Amino acid sequence: MKRRIDLPLLITLTTLALFVFVPMISAFEYSIRTPVEGGYGLTNYKWAVADEDFLYYILRSGWLSALTVLVTLVILVPTVTWLHLSDSKLRPLIDGLSLLPLVIPVVAFAVGAQISLPEFVQNTVLELPFLYFILALPYAYRALDIGLNSIPLKTITEAARSTGASWSRTIISVIIPVIRGAVMGTIALTFALSLGEYTLTVLLHWDTFPTWVTFVAQENILGAIAISMMSLIIPFILLTGITLLMPDRSAQRRK
Amino acid sequence: MTSKDLTLTNVSRRFGTVTALDNFNLHVGVGELVALLGPSGCGKTTALRIIAGLESLDSGKVTVGEKDISRIPAHKRNMGMVFQAYSLFPNLTVEENVAFGLQMRKVSKHLRLKKAHELLELVGLPTHAKRFTHQLSGGQQQRVALARALAFSPEILLLDEPLSALDAQVRVNLREEIRRLQISLGTTTVFVTHDQEEAMSISDRVGVMSHGVLEQIDTPDVLYNAPATAFVANFVGVMNRIPADLANGKVSIFGKSLTASKKGSESGKIVALLRPETISVKKSSSQGNARVLTRSFQGASSAIICQTHEGTIVQSLMASFDTGDFHPGTLVDLEVSTNEVMVTNV
Ligand SMILES: Nc1ncnc2c1ncn2[C@@H]1O[C@H](COP(=O)(O)OP(=O)(O)OP(=O)(O)O)[C@@H](O)[C@H]1O
Ligand SMILES: [Mg+2]
Repeated sequence: MKRRIDLPLLITLTTLALFVFVPMISAFEYSIRTPVEGGYGLTNYKWAVADEDFLYYILRSGWLSALTVLVTLVILVPTVTWLHLSDSKLRPLIDGLSLLPLVIPVVAFAVGAQISLPEFVQNTVLELPFLYFILALPYAYRALDIGLNSIPLKTITEAARSTGASWSRTIISVIIPVIRGAVMGTIALTFALSLGEYTLTVLLHWDTFPTWVTFVAQENILGAIAISMMSLIIPFILLTGITLLMPDRSAQRRK
Repeated sequence: MTSKDLTLTNVSRRFGTVTALDNFNLHVGVGELVALLGPSGCGKTTALRIIAGLESLDSGKVTVGEKDISRIPAHKRNMGMVFQAYSLFPNLTVEENVAFGLQMRKVSKHLRLKKAHELLELVGLPTHAKRFTHQLSGGQQQRVALARALAFSPEILLLDEPLSALDAQVRVNLREEIRRLQISLGTTTVFVTHDQEEAMSISDRVGVMSHGVLEQIDTPDVLYNAPATAFVANFVGVMNRIPADLANGKVSIFGKSLTASKKGSESGKIVALLRPETISVKKSSSQGNARVLTRSFQGASSAIICQTHEGTIVQSLMASFDTGDFHPGTLVDLEVSTNEVMVTNV
């Protein structure tokens, strides 16, 4: 059979590649320029690593993002599961509400969300994971929603319950492994979004990796680009780690 | 854990305006297999789910042994359940699926896998332990689901149309296996089905349900030969419905006067209910009272479907060797071999 070229697909992929790779390659090219001597070298990277703030901020953003992922999973997985099981008439409404963080101006949101947070996190840096959670909600909610729609949730849940699993065991031992792909997607989205969040963080006067990079950029733009390039690798390593920790066992032996 | 008996007392459940169960009562003895049979929507699944704790009840109570379990959550009820839809956990191997209940009960890995292998042996899948569920046929999946439901030695086994998604041959084999296993383990069992042959062939007793109530619960023989209501009579087995007149408790069918066994009205138009095996067909020398439509050969016996000259379709079941020349169109005499007949209003 002759293989036909799928033109729309080709255009989509090319556009995507252009949008993702061209900026990245350009940034990389910038980051290895050596303005003083001319030509290319690792000067900017050496400069970045020499700055001890680099490690401090990347770790700080790292654990804040990890906490955001935790908050997201703990709050969202049971909630979305419950919504699916209850067959509630509220579901379309909640589908819509989950999109609100996309349309509310960040300034309004920053103030409003902050005062509605539990008191023990208010005005501590721990408020950030909760606020990032809300910013990531439209994406995280959808990823989980699609995952739960793709499995016979009700039967599997009832089978687990009648076999002796409490609600929490059902979610941890059965539902999360079964919608593994969607959970991984949620983790990746939430983590990446938290790691790169800038506007809200600045508005609330917190310092994280993105705000620090912006600060550095005013002094040494090429150094800041080198830092950003390195920071790209960190989520990649983390996601690979998660994938290895949560192996898709049925796919391994699927032959 | 040994099996217990199960009692439902005046259980009611409404969904909006629909009454799924209406003061429903049921008792299943220790080690007994009771089938719940009835038309679609009569409340079979609701009853089973209430027993399992997967559905709440509006009023009434569920008792296992001496204990009222009405308010106990599903995962603490110690009941094994097999569902109509395939319900295995796709992320687990076959043996891990079977061992899941024991894992939840904190049994050591070694012991629970040992038990899982025992059960896989019992359901005839000893070599499939390491497979994943998508590598199994539908029948095999239901066997694994059965093994999973039995592995933790439940007090009660609940089956909700576990065979309805399977091929005819697999269904028959698997239902016999379920019965064998159930007898050897002595597990008190409720089996929901809308297939009366399935219900009649493997149950100690069959409960016929209609509109959320139990119409009759009896052994298959009693249900077939002495149905308590016209609904049960019509629902269980093939039943001829022959219009006739009732006068002084007597009904005349094909020229024979029969005693009406259930007297509703003393006279008037009624419908007589007769099993196919109580009607025989004889070749007529003249006009007869009916004409053969079809004869369907079923091995030892044959079903002869006739139409009376009044237009009623009547089915007769006879030993095949008598029926060879009942070709379509043959004029015949229908005769009734019983003296009593159940009647119902038109
Ligand atoms: N969750 C529910 N919400 C609303 N109505 C329901 C619900 N579950 C059951 N019903 C209604 O209750 C009645 C009994 O349903 P049930 O599922 O028990 O019937 P069934 O005897 O199992 O039927 P079938 O043979 O079709 O499986 C039906 O009218 C059904 O529409
Ligand atoms: Mg049902």
